[in-house]
Amino acid sequence: MTLNARTRGTLLVLPATLWLLLFAVAPLVLLVAMSFWTSSIFGTTPDLTLDNYRVIVEEPIYLKVLLQTLRIAVTVTLISLLLSYPMAYFIATRPMSRKNTFLVLLFLPFWSSYVVRTFVWLPMLGRNGLVNSVLLQLGVIDQPLEWLLYNEGTTHLALVYVYTLFMVLPIYLSLDRIDPRLIEAAADLGAGPWRTFRRVILPLSMPGVLSGCVMVFLLACGAYVTPQLVGGTTGIMFGNVIAPQYTVTNNWALGAALSVVLIVVVFLCLALFGRKVRLNDVFVGG
Amino acid sequence: MAGSTDTAGAPADRLGRLRATALSVYAGLFYAVLYLPILLLVVLSFNDSQSIGLPFKGVTLRWFEEVLGSSAMRTSIANSVLLGIASSVIATVLALMLALGFRNDFAFKNLLMKVVLLPILVPGIVGGVIYLVFFGYAELPFGVWSTALPVHITWVLPFAFLTLFPRVHGLDRSLEEAAADLGARPWVTFRRVTFPLIKPGVVATTMFAFTLSFDEFIRTLFSIGNERTVPVHLWSLLSDQMAPFLPAVGVVIMAISMMVSLAGFALSARADRRPR
Repeated sequence: MTLNARTRGTLLVLPATLWLLLFAVAPLVLLVAMSFWTSSIFGTTPDLTLDNYRVIVEEPIYLKVLLQTLRIAVTVTLISLLLSYPMAYFIATRPMSRKNTFLVLLFLPFWSSYVVRTFVWLPMLGRNGLVNSVLLQLGVIDQPLEWLLYNEGTTHLALVYVYTLFMVLPIYLSLDRIDPRLIEAAADLGAGPWRTFRRVILPLSMPGVLSGCVMVFLLACGAYVTPQLVGGTTGIMFGNVIAPQYTVTNNWALGAALSVVLIVVVFLCLALFGRKVRLNDVFVGG
Repeated sequence: MAGSTDTAGAPADRLGRLRATALSVYAGLFYAVLYLPILLLVVLSFNDSQSIGLPFKGVTLRWFEEVLGSSAMRTSIANSVLLGIASSVIATVLALMLALGFRNDFAFKNLLMKVVLLPILVPGIVGGVIYLVFFGYAELPFGVWSTALPVHITWVLPFAFLTLFPRVHGLDRSLEEAAADLGARPWVTFRRVTFPLIKPGVVATTMFAFTLSFDEFIRTLFSIGNERTVPVHLWSLLSDQMAPFLPAVGVVIMAISMMVSLAGFALSARADRRPR
């Protein structure tokens, strides 16, 4: 007896579907529900109140950090884009035999936890870090610079460093897909290199640019480790106001409401720009 | 895309070469900045100095001895490796079934696609606290196997699916149909025809899934209770104090995940070269 294709499809996807309903959808539903509950020193009790959201609106700190988070995420995305596009172009224009080498060289540093990738900036920028040592040796400064670490600038720098692969990769893939004959045709028709780039290459690589931007923006919005480790007091982001609700004050309901705010912002952004994004490119490399 | 060809006269050629040189120089700088902090970390992991930083005071292996000798670190490594193996294997099996199922039509297919991507799309920090709330409310005891394992499987599953799906989708179905026509039952067809065809891809996916699990931090931090994986252990050391052996911890973590990833990359490159 053979099952028909439809039944077989359903049976095959069933285990993963049930798993995801339990461990991806249910926690999210609980989080949304809890954002309307009440937390006190006695614990969190089911309720139906907007108090948590009222706190978020009324306490200026939350709006301020949310805006700062969005600002940092947008800036990090743009810096990544500017730095990554030429890099993606470089790899895409290498001969076939060397592409893989350059790709592996690019991947290698990202094959380790972002905790480590953030941590590496402490010995780079610290008091007796590499930058200060070199500047002291050269006689440019006679005191170690203290402002290299623990500010908004460091958060930007470290986030770009930690996530820029997610920009290079989708751009590279969309550049790599461009038919070389299109570029030759443009040249044959008299377009100069700049015009060919602007009118042919750039438009055709836009899906990759968009995928990379959405991805880096998403990752930056959810950042916690990087601002916590190198951001000091001025470089904090929304993740750093959510986490203490669970690790310090035990205000689960407020933490849930703050999380819902972040999710809504991120999903709105996805709804606006995410349609053309090829998730496959971003995560796996085609 | 190959390098564009300038067919205009000599001045354009020179300009083209200049542009190409500038691009290469830029790429060199990009790689340099990418690797500089990592090389510094490696250098410092051998630095015979009580504080993290320069100057370099001589080579020592004692930080590695201290790191690999500490029972907390060894437990964390064991936790990370076992968790990585368990979650990557389970997630890959679930993802493979999912990918095979996606070749057929079924109800709510588009909706399911969105659900599959959900774990990736939820911002990192929320992806962490969500499980603290969920398991805390369910009153499950937090630990590597009770809570961190399901979290890791859920986190890795979408990636495994996205890697496997194109490979499964690209399979020539006539081979499977031929097997069925010759009387093979679905399970036999899978074991003797489908699986051998996609095996390299499945192995590569499992290895990528392993490194994703091995490197995962934020979701683990909130779901593992008092136990530790390597990144969580590093984090707790970082929040404690700037101990001189920290660079060595970082180097050990990097070494493990880079080796597995490199092997996975090599395998998947080989799988892609093979005709489907």
